[in-house]
Amino acid sequence: MGWVLRWVDGKAGVSFCSVLQIEALVKDMQNPETGVRMQNQRVLVTSVPHAMTGGDVLQWIIQRLWISNLEAQNLGNFIVKYGYIYPLQDPKNLILKPDSSLYRFQTPYFWPTQQWPAEDTDYAIYLAKRNIKKKGILEEYEKENYDFLNKKINYKWDFVIMQAKEQYRTGKERNKADRYALDCQEKAYWLVHRSPPGMNNVLDYGLDRVTNPNEVKVNQLSFSCVCTLTVMEQNKRSLLSEKRIVKYSEQFSSNDAIMSGCLPSNPWITDDTQFWDLNAKLVEVPTKMRVERWAFNFSELIRDPKGENLGFWEACEDLKYGDQSKVKEKAEEIYKLFLAPGARRWINIDGKTMDITVKGLRHPHRYVLDAAQTHIYMLMKKDSYARYLKSPIYKEMLAKAIEPQETTKRRQVDSTLPFMRRHLRSSPSPVILRQLEEEEKAREAANTVDITQVMSKLDRRSLLKKELPPK
Amino acid sequence: MAREECKALLDALNKTTACYHHLVLTVGGSADTQDLREELQKTRQKARELAVATGARLTVALRDRGLATEERAEFERLWVAFSGCLDLLEADMQRSLTLGAAFPLHAPRRPLVRTGVAGGSSAVAARALSARSLRHEAEGDFDVADLPELEREVLQVGKMIDDMEMKVNVPRWTVQARQAAGAELLSGASAGASSAGGISVQERAGPCDPNKALAATVFSAVLLVAVALALCVAKLS
Repeated sequence: MGWVLRWVDGKAGVSFCSVLQIEALVKDMQNPETGVRMQNQRVLVTSVPHAMTGGDVLQWIIQRLWISNLEAQNLGNFIVKYGYIYPLQDPKNLILKPDSSLYRFQTPYFWPTQQWPAEDTDYAIYLAKRNIKKKGILEEYEKENYDFLNKKINYKWDFVIMQAKEQYRTGKERNKADRYALDCQEKAYWLVHRSPPGMNNVLDYGLDRVTNPNEVKVNQLSFSCVCTLTVMEQNKRSLLSEKRIVKYSEQFSSNDAIMSGCLPSNPWITDDTQFWDLNAKLVEVPTKMRVERWAFNFSELIRDPKGENLGFWEACEDLKYGDQSKVKEKAEEIYKLFLAPGARRWINIDGKTMDITVKGLRHPHRYVLDAAQTHIYMLMKKDSYARYLKSPIYKEMLAKAIEPQETTKRRQVDSTLPFMRRHLRSSPSPVILRQLEEEEKAREAANTVDITQVMSKLDRRSLLKKELPPK
Repeated sequence: MAREECKALLDALNKTTACYHHLVLTVGGSADTQDLREELQKTRQKARELAVATGARLTVALRDRGLATEERAEFERLWVAFSGCLDLLEADMQRSLTLGAAFPLHAPRRPLVRTGVAGGSSAVAARALSARSLRHEAEGDFDVADLPELEREVLQVGKMIDDMEMKVNVPRWTVQARQAAGAELLSGASAGASSAGGISVQERAGPCDPNKALAATVFSAVLLVAVALALCVAKLS
């Protein structure tokens, strides 16, 4: 039988399909004739059966699947990481050591195949049992988890303690070797599902990772041989996403302050705040970089706070996601600023949308401006954006935009003299900036129309319309 | 008293659930036999009977509107513990169904997983059923015959949980647990314990630890020898 294990994105994420294949492999290992060689493990005076060495397991995998040493090692590591096999001598190190260190199979109840969730309640019961066994001496992270769970599921705590005591007493009904094996099993299970800090936890993204269901859940059982982790086996999907990332990085690399330096100078290095001044939100003349960025992408343009339609867009977003207690005031402000006829920053939306919006503004709620917002967005995207880029306004802006000179030389000389007193200019505090913004807004609001007047006007208009037809 | 009765039933259910959980852990492993499957069946029957009885009593008590607040709080606590037991039981039954189907014991037999657990579990089952010992009467293909029965029972338990949720409305998060963190370290009765975690008091009821007894005898022997030597020295000098 041939095997192919699909590694999602060529990395450590294992899909559900692969987990099934690992399970089939582990079941194959159980065969008394063709399976892995077993030996007994001596623990003090008892002897627990069914232990195997890492080297044996590795050899078995190599012979069974006809793969190389390195790939078998990798596969073995995954089998241990997912909890099908657990190490006996070094339980926190979930790798398959190719020497004589011992491993044992995990009981099927604890296999990850079924994707049964490792619930908090179960973990709490386990910790309580461990507490009893170790007479209160738990490890640091276990103590923390215990206290945390105690607060989280406090209402269940009576049940947790009851069940933990009973399970502990039940465990004593078995013989010593069995008890030892069962304890090891449970401990290994929780080391996989609730790893201590610092331990590599493959289940962080493992089986619950969001993967494409159509791609993965199809049961593919018959393929050609080898399970290889080379680049060629990577999904086409990952190649596509890589291309997109590369394109994005190339496009934005000149804008990235870390990759290609920033003009005039990086404020953190040279204490010169000119960069921040030039790129402040409401600056009159934006820098060249910024203007160029607008040409990349419509969403870049939207995000930039200069511009009218965009101002409306931003205000709508603020309404949607912002503080609900202020909805009424915000809605009124937006109306005064953008929607009322003759408003200072009037936006162009069609009559029907305007009607709906104004009616909705009577009882303002989070999504009252959605229709208008969508309309504006579509309008901007399809129509204005293309025209804007070709328009003389944009070209003018590009020409006017400053390309600030680099001011490195002077400052560097200053900073290299250690005892020179550096003149540190502090940037204006954000509180002051905010005050300035608010004052501006207040000035704009002073020249606008009251909402109720317009409402009554609309009503009168509709009444007139009703009167007209019967005539 | 209704409360004592409920508590006793709940304790029994708790014990049976713990035993059932313990038995399900070994399904599919090297200790999986027809006997184990039979024990599972008997344990879960007992658990279901207890669950039905406890549920009925608790429902009657909680639907009684004339109940004092303190009593009501007590019953709500019992209710939360009861629903925890039921949830655990249902989950374990579901898992034993899946595992039982995945690891059939009848021929042609796929080899079971060699988990290192080899002994018998009849003591556990006897504990669950509060019996001294257990007689195994299972035939060769008990596990196969049992699966549809198990499936039906899983659905029944699920339905029971839903019914009870419908009849009794207990907001779980308002229930205050009586026992604090670390209460499991105190042996003896469970109610009323209050201490911060980490108390390591544990009395040993029953026979002493043989190691400690050995150490005690050795120490006393050495002490006697020392005393004898001292006397000899005193006599000689």
